[in-house]
Amino acid sequence: MTALVWLHEDALRHDHPVYTAAGEDVISCFFWDEDYLQKMDYGFKRLVFIYETLCELPVTIIHDSTVEGLIRLAENQSCETIYIPATPNPLLQEIIVELEHRLLVVIVEDTPFVSLTKDLDMKRFFRYWNKAKKLAMQPSDS
Amino acid sequence: MIELEKIFTNRKLLVKHVSEISPWLQDSNASSITGGISQAERQLQDIDPIEYCRTRNFLNGKVTKLSPYIRHGMLTLDRVRNEALSLCKDPQQIEKFIQELAWRDYWQRIYQRHPTHIWDDIESYKTGFQADEYEDELSADIATANTGVACIDQFIETLLRTGYMHNHTRMYVAAYIVHWRRIKWQAGAKWFLHHLIDGDPASNNFSWQWVASTFSNKPYIFNLDNVRKYAHAEINTNSSENAVLDASYEILTLNLFPNKGTEQ
Ligand SMILES: Cc1cc2nc3c(=O)[nH]c(=O)nc-3n(C[C@H](O)[C@H](O)[C@H](O)COP(=O)(O)OP(=O)(O)OC[C@H]3O[C@@H](n4cnc5c(N)ncnc54)[C@H](O)[C@@H]3O)c2cc1C
Repeated sequence: MTALVWLHEDALRHDHPVYTAAGEDVISCFFWDEDYLQKMDYGFKRLVFIYETLCELPVTIIHDSTVEGLIRLAENQSCETIYIPATPNPLLQEIIVELEHRLLVVIVEDTPFVSLTKDLDMKRFFRYWNKAKKLAMQPSDS
Repeated sequence: MIELEKIFTNRKLLVKHVSEISPWLQDSNASSITGGISQAERQLQDIDPIEYCRTRNFLNGKVTKLSPYIRHGMLTLDRVRNEALSLCKDPQQIEKFIQELAWRDYWQRIYQRHPTHIWDDIESYKTGFQADEYEDELSADIATANTGVACIDQFIETLLRTGYMHNHTRMYVAAYIVHWRRIKWQAGAKWFLHHLIDGDPASNNFSWQWVASTFSNKPYIFNLDNVRKYAHAEINTNSSENAVLDASYEILTLNLFPNKGTEQ
């Protein structure tokens, strides 16, 4: 069955692990969501940068509101699952929560810089760095 | 549901198209910094992490300018680190470079833990002032590069024209806004996020808090001698045109933070 990948502005590349998770038969899209872009308050230079990047990627750029557009697309293409790159952005997370009411959502993390425990002491950078340094200073397998 | 165009014969047409689909923006000037995975790859091939460690603090030093590509996920920190390591014999030679990548990872991890607190002061100011003694809004002279402090105006002009700034000039401008003008870091951070192509809620806001002292042990300040040390010939560092910056750290600390000594 075809899977839907929603590529958002935090993950603009075609070898993001979201594609491996979604499998070979995918529809990949980006939403030019005016409401979202205005809330993010991006300047024109950034919008050009993002658009230029999208032009090089195997994604369809859709001019629509993200939630309604994605739900409609999923219905039209009979996709039950939507794969989304992980993001800390609260506005994108709000969209994800709305999508979860209607579709099966799979969040896919990007390749980490270093793998560390989630409860790490991060009060100051050097507490983090003392733990991260050894791993950070060597190449990963990826 | 409208599918947007992806093929343009030249950049001018692409820029025009973006202007048409973002009618809420007044500005329609693109930056010379171009998007695209192929551009990200070219820039990654051009990094020199050893030279970086020697010159990164200088405004014309060999910094990578990878930030917009990293910010939007086109390059991972993992990929950049692996590439940098492949260019040196001993990882110690490029520790400073990897540590700078780690700063981004550190800020992202804090953001992931508390995504909705990204505009809150993490700690109180260590300047002798309370948060409510700072102005809420950025003044128009700052927004338009007309502060009258020559080097600060040049740094702001670069931001407005290119959408990019060197790390050192970000620190100078942020310190000028928060400590010389006594404006809340949030006002400056919001303005940076609008203009920077690499604008990132975590790297930007936490760096502003680091300068402000709400996420560090003391406020970051600089003086004109420091700008002279790291600037290049095009930056105006004349004393008379940068008078408010031209003093020793002791004098600046007394002038900018007069209550500091009396704090509990
Ligand atoms: C007030 C202020 C605001 C900032 N706002 C942003 C922002 O919105 N987005 C952003 O990406 N960076 C921000 N930074 C951090 C840093 O200035 C930029 O990442 C760096 O200048 C980008 O240029 P470069 O790619 O040539 O960096 P290089 O020096 O070549 O470093 C390589 C990469 O390491 C990372 N990096 C380097 N230094 C830092 C740092 N101090 N903190 C976090 N990551 C770092 C970046 O991803 C950068 O692309 C800010 C710093 C300050 C002081």
